[in-house]
Amino acid sequence: MLKPSLNELLKSSIRSILKNKSRTILTSLGIIIGVTSVILLTSIGNGLKVYITQQFDSLGANSIFVTPGQVFNEDGGFAQGGMMMTTSFTQKDVLSLERGLRDSIIMPVNAVFADIKSANDLKKSVEIDGATEEFGFNNNVLPPEGNGRWFTKEENDKKTPVIVLGYNLAEKLFPSFNALGKKVIVKGKDLKVIGVVDKKGASMGGPSVDDQAYAPITVVSDLAGNEDINSIVVKAPNKDSIESTKKEITKIMEEKYETDAFSVFDSSQLLSSINSIISVLTIALSGIAAISLVVGGIGIMNIMLVSVTERTKEIGLRKAIGAYPRAILIQFLIEAVILSCLGGLIGILLGFLGTLAINPFFPAKITISSVVLAFGVSSLVGIVFGVAPARKASKLSPIEALRYE
Amino acid sequence: MTKLSSLNSSKTILELKNISKTYFSGSDTFYALKNVSLKINKGEFISITGPSGSGKSTLMHIIGLLDNPSSGQILLNGQDISNLKEHQLAQIRNVTLGFVFQQFNLLPKTSALENVILPLLYSDVPQKDRYDLGIKMLEKVGLGDKVKNTPAQLSGGQQQRVAIARALINNPQIIFADEPTGNLDSKSGVSIMNFFKELHEKEGRTIVFVTHDPDLAKQARRLIIIKDGQIV
Repeated sequence: MLKPSLNELLKSSIRSILKNKSRTILTSLGIIIGVTSVILLTSIGNGLKVYITQQFDSLGANSIFVTPGQVFNEDGGFAQGGMMMTTSFTQKDVLSLERGLRDSIIMPVNAVFADIKSANDLKKSVEIDGATEEFGFNNNVLPPEGNGRWFTKEENDKKTPVIVLGYNLAEKLFPSFNALGKKVIVKGKDLKVIGVVDKKGASMGGPSVDDQAYAPITVVSDLAGNEDINSIVVKAPNKDSIESTKKEITKIMEEKYETDAFSVFDSSQLLSSINSIISVLTIALSGIAAISLVVGGIGIMNIMLVSVTERTKEIGLRKAIGAYPRAILIQFLIEAVILSCLGGLIGILLGFLGTLAINPFFPAKITISSVVLAFGVSSLVGIVFGVAPARKASKLSPIEALRYE
Repeated sequence: MTKLSSLNSSKTILELKNISKTYFSGSDTFYALKNVSLKINKGEFISITGPSGSGKSTLMHIIGLLDNPSSGQILLNGQDISNLKEHQLAQIRNVTLGFVFQQFNLLPKTSALENVILPLLYSDVPQKDRYDLGIKMLEKVGLGDKVKNTPAQLSGGQQQRVAIARALINNPQIIFADEPTGNLDSKSGVSIMNFFKELHEKEGRTIVFVTHDPDLAKQARRLIIIKDGQIV
């Protein structure tokens, strides 16, 4: 049986910690800072994941993206040099996809990078996506009611010079008045603004939807001077057919291209890649923050060693009146663990408050697992760094300790 | 309590047989104690005295089971305890011995009552009985009204009384006192010595105290004078 009982040890440890309030707080500071930063960073990482998932959900459901080159490597991460347009597709590929996939909507995109200028000479270098009439609705970039419209099939067929602006782009080009109906100039050609997309915030890699523009693909092909198709978006009839549609697309494309010359992926794949990047980043950053936990642990060890020296006489007395070595060991170990757990608790509280505070500006989401982990690690730190001082205390000889001045 | 009953049959509580304690400094061997044999019987009031460096403190530490002899045998109630482990000795000190020190050695910022019941923390006495026992002991040493005072709020004499209450709380077979009046003014010193005498006379307590003061030493019933590590 443990003598004194655990609850008596706890009581006496808490009492001795409370006798030195300012020292206690200062000692726990390292742990407090470590736990706070670990919790904040994981909250931000998790919040970011949730935010990106939401944004992806809003970016066209059931969409499959066909791009030239390898986007993903075998592990599901992004391939090196992925997203680089090494080749492009042709109108013939679009036609063969349309023939092979009767139930899906095939939407080719030809992107061009160009300066876009407003009448009052404001200039911006942007990506203009040449797209079809179905693209706006299916990719969730349709201008909202009262803010114009997407272009029609007729406008696309007749190469009508119209353009739909992203939210930020419209603000930059026309800072003080409504962009609708105004003219912009791209490569010397006048285009009429027929719609402005709502603020979206996120994008599928590359520039944000808010900073780019959309025009009929026929118009963009003229501007670019080529008929290339940079990517093809395929809208599967429903969620369950995404996989089979992807297989079908791959089969059709493989008739013409090498397997590694193009990529077929849906947003969930892209999402999991981005999420795995965020996870790695979060772990790396939390790991750096965790270094301060080690530093905090050393601080606790330091103070506990001082405390053992200070209380040499007390230890001697306790031993003389019957404390066996392990009772002293456990007493000091418990004090170290309480110090670090206290730091952990304050850190969790601060991390929680910090998460609440940054939430309006940045997506942050506290997770139970990070709280449990932070608390576990801080108590572990207490045990690991408390052992040396506690052992020192338990090994003191009672007469030496009583003689100590 | 089995130990208490066994002492009725044998009057000797503690016996030292040929105890030596040596220290090495370089190639020199220094004897702090040399072949000391000694019996402490139940109900004795013994003083150990001698000039400083004579070995009286070493002797005190060895009979108080705080230090191990280099050679020789220690019998407690007839049992050889020379080869016991540290935690076993701690257990014996806890239930058999009571200590009073020159420096009082009370825990600072801790109430008199908490100080008195400190040995019980390491004993089998149930938690609920401890405070009652502690208050009883403080009343016995005349500090029933100072239960909640911390050592800083008590005079030197009162602090030593708290320490005596702490030594008595386990109902020990022997009370050891190391220069118990050394840090007190003469008036408090006399009152503490009288209290020890009272414990001896009225309760038949076995008391062993160490002092360098020959006058104080003479107040004991049995005087052990130690010189150069040997009893003279």
